[in-house]
Amino acid sequence: MPNFHRKLERSAIGFVLAIVGVSAIGGFVEIAPLFTIHETVEQAPDMRVYTPLEVAGRNIYIREGCYACHSQMIRTLRDEVERYGPFSLAVESQYDHPMLWGSKRTGPDLARVGGKYSDAWQVAHLINPRDVVPQSVMPRYAWLKRNGLKTDDLGLHLAAQRRVGVPYTDDMIANAGADAYGQANPDSPYASGVTARYGEATNVRAFDGSAGRLTEMDALVAYLQVLGRLTDAAQKTAAAQE
Amino acid sequence: MTFDHQTLVAFSKSWGLFYLIALAAVVLVYALWPSNRKRFDRAKNSIFNKDDRPGD
Amino acid sequence: MVSGLTVSERRLALVIAGLIAVCGLAMAIVGRNDLIGAHGFIVLAFSLGVIALVATRYLDPEPPEDRLSQYYDDPTKAGIVLAMIWAVIGMFFGVWVAALLAWPDLTFDAAWASFGRLRPVHTSGVIFGFGGNALIATSLHVLQRTSRARLPDQFSPWFVLIGYNLFCVLAASGYFMGVTQSKEYAEPEWYADLWLVIVWVVYFLIYIRTLQRRKEPHIYVANWYYMAFILVVAILHIVNNLAVPVSLGHAKSYSLFSGVQDAMTQWWYGHNAVAFFLTAGFLGMMYYYLPKRAGRPIFSYRLSIISFWGITFMYMWAGSHHLHYTALPQWVQTLGMTFSIVLLVPSWASAGNALATLNGAWHKVRDDATLRFMMVAAVFYGLSTFEGSFMAIRAVNSLSHYTDWTIGHVHAGALGWVAMITFGSLYALVPWMWKQERIYSPALVEVHFWLALIGTIIYVFAMWNSGIIQGLMWRTYNDSGTLAYSFIDSLVAMRPYYIARTVGGLFFFAGAVVASYNIWMTIRMSRRAEAAGRDTVDVPASAALVPGE
Repeated sequence: MPNFHRKLERSAIGFVLAIVGVSAIGGFVEIAPLFTIHETVEQAPDMRVYTPLEVAGRNIYIREGCYACHSQMIRTLRDEVERYGPFSLAVESQYDHPMLWGSKRTGPDLARVGGKYSDAWQVAHLINPRDVVPQSVMPRYAWLKRNGLKTDDLGLHLAAQRRVGVPYTDDMIANAGADAYGQANPDSPYASGVTARYGEATNVRAFDGSAGRLTEMDALVAYLQVLGRLTDAAQKTAAAQE
Repeated sequence: MTFDHQTLVAFSKSWGLFYLIALAAVVLVYALWPSNRKRFDRAKNSIFNKDDRPGD
Repeated sequence: MVSGLTVSERRLALVIAGLIAVCGLAMAIVGRNDLIGAHGFIVLAFSLGVIALVATRYLDPEPPEDRLSQYYDDPTKAGIVLAMIWAVIGMFFGVWVAALLAWPDLTFDAAWASFGRLRPVHTSGVIFGFGGNALIATSLHVLQRTSRARLPDQFSPWFVLIGYNLFCVLAASGYFMGVTQSKEYAEPEWYADLWLVIVWVVYFLIYIRTLQRRKEPHIYVANWYYMAFILVVAILHIVNNLAVPVSLGHAKSYSLFSGVQDAMTQWWYGHNAVAFFLTAGFLGMMYYYLPKRAGRPIFSYRLSIISFWGITFMYMWAGSHHLHYTALPQWVQTLGMTFSIVLLVPSWASAGNALATLNGAWHKVRDDATLRFMMVAAVFYGLSTFEGSFMAIRAVNSLSHYTDWTIGHVHAGALGWVAMITFGSLYALVPWMWKQERIYSPALVEVHFWLALIGTIIYVFAMWNSGIIQGLMWRTYNDSGTLAYSFIDSLVAMRPYYIARTVGGLFFFAGAVVASYNIWMTIRMSRRAEAAGRDTVDVPASAALVPGE
């Protein structure tokens, strides 16, 4: 045995292989089973995918680093469930590429923030958090309402997501730009296509308070308002436990 | 390649411990093997050799 | 430094830099409607700068033949300077983001200055900019000395160093513009990630080629740690960054993994970035520079081998302790917790080994601030690995997770261990590299030591307090069985600690500025000595140690 190790060490390549082998075991053992996890965990066949506007909003959430201060993962602890709602299930983030569970709560958890506040509150809060919550330390995001939203490449975004496993249809990809516009303009002819493709329960509103031009504020608020509402699997699980 | 979830989990749960013990044994034997002592002593003092030039 | 390259190496440098310039131009054209276009221009400008640098010295004569009988240290020198530049940048932004939590309007209503964009500039700046450059610089030095062999060629170390800094520039500039994957400590997008893979392969090849040409029969243990750092970081980086870009003209990509798989992959990466970037690499530094500076061999070589394999094997299991009580299956959480606790054994073996090495040299520790940096680093390494194992226990984690306690823990490790061992090693290395008997001002090293220590202690205590208070407030119930505090109550309670943390960070930042000045003045001392034709010394450091230095 010592001779074996001595040889291993004398040839640097053998040493390299030993390090890779020894270190790789842990990761493989813990990660590999997670790719078959769908066999055992809860299912949510009725769960819908994000609309193009919500995808754009999610990308703004990522771009601004919101995940650095807000988690989207309610743990199975009594105080968290009472503060934020039913604990998060694995299936709820099955379409999140990447997940945004977060690691720090400088601000509160957002996993179930959808529908908790009005659009007007969200917009005012994002423009200047201290207008709404005087003690807040969140940065202002006033420019989101000034910046127009880029929609011409949303189809490409949906197509890329389909490549990593999100079930977008050809129809959804082809109409991505129009659907983004329609979701924030309920009176436009594009609005009906959104509910036809993503379901009657989809929020179709002028999220930033003014119809017409699409802004980054529209997208981010649309995303925030759908958090925790893509499926009711967590509520069902909570009800079943009581 | 048809592993179901149960098999993978069972494998992961049990074999980690065996790997840990086996590896610890190998490393301890190597580190404590009496005839290796001289080499280790040489190695730990080697960094104090005259080291302003590459060796020949 | 260019004139040290052979003419064919200069030609190669021009060709490679030219190819990269073409890539930059292509990115700028294809991505003209996207942020990747801006990055194309940065790549183009960067490579044109390199071309200009090489071209001005292209016609210099060939370097003397006797260079082959010497070590090649130019990339190490450049790496030290780059590490200090990144230290100042990264820590400056650290102080800024700390201040933002006490004074949130310091963003001036600019998108690039908001907390979410500046935070990764701080984390990547200190971890990858400062830490990474210091690791590359010291590893090339240690590799040659312990192998008693010169680097295999002069071009590839420059490719690694400059290429790596291009990656850092792409990362930091990307965050300002909002280019990020959102994966903590793996934020750079797909094209920067691909570039880092190329750089890393060359880095690995330098290491393996030099080791194969070594004159020593045994590979010194410091190299084991550096090798583990290079290899495992490569595995982690490739797996965690697997993603599908929207198109070749888009900076944005979508991770191959989602939800629970992505969470496990990300924290497998995240925790082992701590293990193999911030621990293994810097342990390599410690196992060489600490005995060297103390003038005493490592206390137990056997123990260093045992703890090496322990760390290499066990850390990879521990990542799931970042996901206690989440939707991750419980058996994975338990496995992560168990291994995190067992990890204390090899971690304390290393810390104890370092301190036992100093046993009998305490008078040197008292008199030499450089050695004291290394001693304090070993102490903080022991403290933060203990804290880490403790926080991995599920019951403790239920309180500490999501709070500032985690931030305090990370900084006990990052300031107390990583930065201190780096500063100690650089202070030992700088006079050696620039062939001076000692650093420009030993008194300033002393000043830096106390700034760093006081800053770390203020920071860590502030975050411990705020984290524990936060965690307790979130879970406190009043007599009627409802939650006692709103979220905003807990935020208001944090404010004094956030201010204290900013002050602590300011101390530490000031120390880094002092260090940069001291190192810069040592370099100038060396240039003046050279200009005056004075003799230089080959190996000062430990031998030149006098009381009071």
